[in-house]
Amino acid sequence: MATRSKARLALDRAFDAKACRHYLNNNMHVLHCHHYATLYCQLADDCSILDAKKLLADCAEDAVYDVLSGYFAANGIDGVVDRIAIAEQYFSAAGMGRMVVVCAGPDGGDVEFVHSHVDEGWIKKWGQRDEAVNFIGLGFVAAVFAAAFGRPVRSYAVTEVQSIVAGAERSVFQVVAN
Amino acid sequence: MAIDRKRIIQALSELEVSGNEDGLIPAYNVFVNQLPAGFWNSFAQRLVRSIDIDLLEAGEALLVNAAHECGYHTGYGIITSEEWKAVVQPMVEKVPEDILHGAYAVFTAWGWAKSEVTSIVPGEKMVVRAYDYYEADPAVYGNLTRPCAYMIRGVSAAFMDLAYGGDYDPTGKTGMRTFQCEQTKGIECGDDYGEFVVTRA
Repeated sequence: MATRSKARLALDRAFDAKACRHYLNNNMHVLHCHHYATLYCQLADDCSILDAKKLLADCAEDAVYDVLSGYFAANGIDGVVDRIAIAEQYFSAAGMGRMVVVCAGPDGGDVEFVHSHVDEGWIKKWGQRDEAVNFIGLGFVAAVFAAAFGRPVRSYAVTEVQSIVAGAERSVFQVVAN
Repeated sequence: MAIDRKRIIQALSELEVSGNEDGLIPAYNVFVNQLPAGFWNSFAQRLVRSIDIDLLEAGEALLVNAAHECGYHTGYGIITSEEWKAVVQPMVEKVPEDILHGAYAVFTAWGWAKSEVTSIVPGEKMVVRAYDYYEADPAVYGNLTRPCAYMIRGVSAAFMDLAYGGDYDPTGKTGMRTFQCEQTKGIECGDDYGEFVVTRA
């Protein structure tokens, strides 16, 4: 079992005063709130004409994959242990909660969210519910595994098997290679 | 108008936002997140391009609604925050019109859109122009046939709710959705700027 990495995420913040846009490590980022994030999840959950839950997860995976793989390339982060440590820190820097990758290999792994922006935001807004709602988290986890193991997006299927929004102490995700 | 946009943008654009030990960003009475702008754009574009034309307006309305609720609650959090009291409140002379002008300076500082109020009919109408906004980015080549700044639409309507819709209601049951916003121009459609007209719902 690999030991925990001491790799630290460097956050290079920049504000383009002409366009009035914020950049985090050369990627344009934007601030939003839990109302916005949870309403996007609710929209995806309620959508009956297409699988918007997968759509939302895929969009999150694409966006996070670009950020992580770009960071790894720019900073020479080659080892899986360091990559996972950077991804965990990026999750928190983005305000998405606290993510712990419990175990990971090229064929899959287990991930926990000790805190979750979407789940705790949902509870703050509407209260608990039985079904998982963190479709953004699904995509985030898929991106972490794809970027960590140098594989393209959609290489991993992620299932949320336990959710903070449903009253669990932490959210639990199972990851398996496609 | 005493609102010094340049000073507000400079002061508030420098605020560093990052997760606490729990990876959460509690601020302005909400949990804040900072994700790549492309994520929000991708979902909106892929959603509206995937649904039947008959349902397009309904789909767009849901995207606008997400921003409307965000703008209502976060907007209230912003205009009651310590940062607002320190930077913007001393410039406010005419309420609520100066608050609206200040809110768009904050809107700009936060990177949502480089935008300003160009006219206000108190209690009735507001016109906003946005000269740069991330929601225009999906048009990498050519022009879109429909404007797609759903977030600016929703937040603009919410700001008018806060200004003229009565007391803030944390439940959102009253006060919210007293105004609506139409996007009449868009950079994504080939216009020089985005234009947003907010009127009574």
